Amino acid sequence: MSDVALAAAQARHALKGFLREPRAFIFTVILPLFLLVILNGIFHGKSSFFGLRVPFAVYYTPAIISYQIMLAGYSSLLIAVTTERERGMLKRLRGTPMPSWVFLTGEIIRTTVVAAVSVVVLVAVGSGVYHVPIGAHTAIGLAVYTVTGTACMCALGLASTRVCATTDAASVAGPFVTLILGFISGVFIPVSMMPAWLLDAGKLFPLEHLAQGLREAFAVPGSTGITAINLAALAAWGAAGLGAALVGFRWEPHDSW
Amino acid sequence: MGLGRATRSLAGRNRVDCGVLGLRASAGLLVLVRRRVSSSQVAAVGDRVIDVRQLRKSYGGIERLHGISFSVERGEIFGFLGTNGAGKTTTIEILEGYRARDGGEVSVLGTDPAHAGRNWRNRIGLVLQESELNPVYTVRETVAMFSRYFTQPTDLDATIMSAGLADKAGERVGRLSGGERRRVDVAIGLVGDPDVLFLDEPTTGLDPAARRGMWALIEGLRREGKTVFLTTHYMEEAQRLADRIVILQAGAIAAQGTAEQLSAALGHATRITFLAPPRIGPAQVSAAVGTSVEQDGRRLGFRSDQAQRDLTALLRWAEEHGVELTDIRVSPPTLDDVFVQLAVSAGDPPDDSS
Repeated sequence: MSDVALAAAQARHALKGFLREPRAFIFTVILPLFLLVILNGIFHGKSSFFGLRVPFAVYYTPAIISYQIMLAGYSSLLIAVTTERERGMLKRLRGTPMPSWVFLTGEIIRTTVVAAVSVVVLVAVGSGVYHVPIGAHTAIGLAVYTVTGTACMCALGLASTRVCATTDAASVAGPFVTLILGFISGVFIPVSMMPAWLLDAGKLFPLEHLAQGLREAFAVPGSTGITAINLAALAAWGAAGLGAALVGFRWEPHDSW
Repeated sequence: MGLGRATRSLAGRNRVDCGVLGLRASAGLLVLVRRRVSSSQVAAVGDRVIDVRQLRKSYGGIERLHGISFSVERGEIFGFLGTNGAGKTTTIEILEGYRARDGGEVSVLGTDPAHAGRNWRNRIGLVLQESELNPVYTVRETVAMFSRYFTQPTDLDATIMSAGLADKAGERVGRLSGGERRRVDVAIGLVGDPDVLFLDEPTTGLDPAARRGMWALIEGLRREGKTVFLTTHYMEEAQRLADRIVILQAGAIAAQGTAEQLSAALGHATRITFLAPPRIGPAQVSAAVGTSVEQDGRRLGFRSDQAQRDLTALLRWAEEHGVELTDIRVSPPTLDDVFVQLAVSAGDPPDDSS
């Protein structure tokens, strides 16, 4: 079996495990769906965005998609890898002939598949239930940001395994960081209702750029939402995460660091 | 300077250890060591699976392995025995390529594990001491995942069956007992058809029935001619399974040989005990058998290096004095005896973590 085929088999195996794990499934796939429904239930009418008056559903669908990408790419991957490390599974895998990148690639493919499927579900609910228009420009922006956003969040998730010594720590840090960034990136509260200083703080982090790009692709007619500043922010955070992961990644449980 | 002193004082303690053994050894240990050297000279280099010379390792400036040397031949079950903290796991992790050493030579399958690559990993099997498995996968899925990593894996179902898990193959790992999970670990260790299998404390934490099951599994590996490096802190386990045993103590080899040789080296080996008859004390029995008799609770007992002679004397004395001896037990020397002796000689309490 070639290494590429091995990575694919590893991803299939990881996906099978993910689908059998209720906690990960609920927090990564079900939770964003509930958020979309609840937020659309709370806010009716229109929000101002980019000088336009857009329905809340058009605002929240991309916002929750960006949140979902961070939950799957960052939080869920961080918890999954930390759990395997704490089990001693990473150490055990390190002792086999399998190259390290095969395991990590399998995890990243698994994460990307989960993120992509969830994005499709959220788009289907947004368009089917809340009549959010999906144009070609929306689809292009969605595809580009799903890929770049997931890649960036995966890199940061892997980097964070170094800081989270245990599964417990990862289970707190992953959702916590995601939730806080969600608030300051205008995921839950529309940006038009937020103070400028909080928005400026949000712009320092990658979720805001992911959310902003997606919102534009959904809300601004004819726009893909793809901007240099958003892509550059995601690329910079992704590269920093990848670098930190390559330098700091640990294969053994914390007590042997 | 400080290091030099530490090394010197350590060497001194080793000499004391040897002295204690030598005294009690009826010269057996010296003969044993000499025989081992000559047999290893005869053995072809290709038959030596593991070769360790003067292995040293320090943590935080404190030396934990003080230059240990041993070798493992092909097809042998090699027992590496020691208390927690003796350096067993440090040693096995250096052999497995997980840890870097600070000094000495190490060769496993002719390769230095510190610089070994993928081909070498293809030929070794690992059962780590503390490692869990993802509970959501079935036994078969778990072992199948590992089998894909190796270029020439064994037959999956045959491996699961030989690990004694044939009827659990479709069961999720999370629903298995501790003993069954450990069997999955062994199946994972074997699925690459390794030339050498490392088993790090395979029965620690198992109940007696599961432990016996694991022993049967390891004995099956012997019949297949597998080379096994087994660490344990259970004397009984090493005694039952290992062809040869090295006892590690405080980072140095305290004794090595077969289980029988090690026991014999201690002399005074067989233990004879019985329930103390009414109005009979150690002194009376001692006069009859001509050796010192000790009382341990309700039992009297003594050690004998000529069991038949001393037992005959004991029974004849009982017959002549109308004493009825009950619950007579004759126990062969155990590694426990060797081990307790060694631990005492070094001033450490014997391990009771089990």
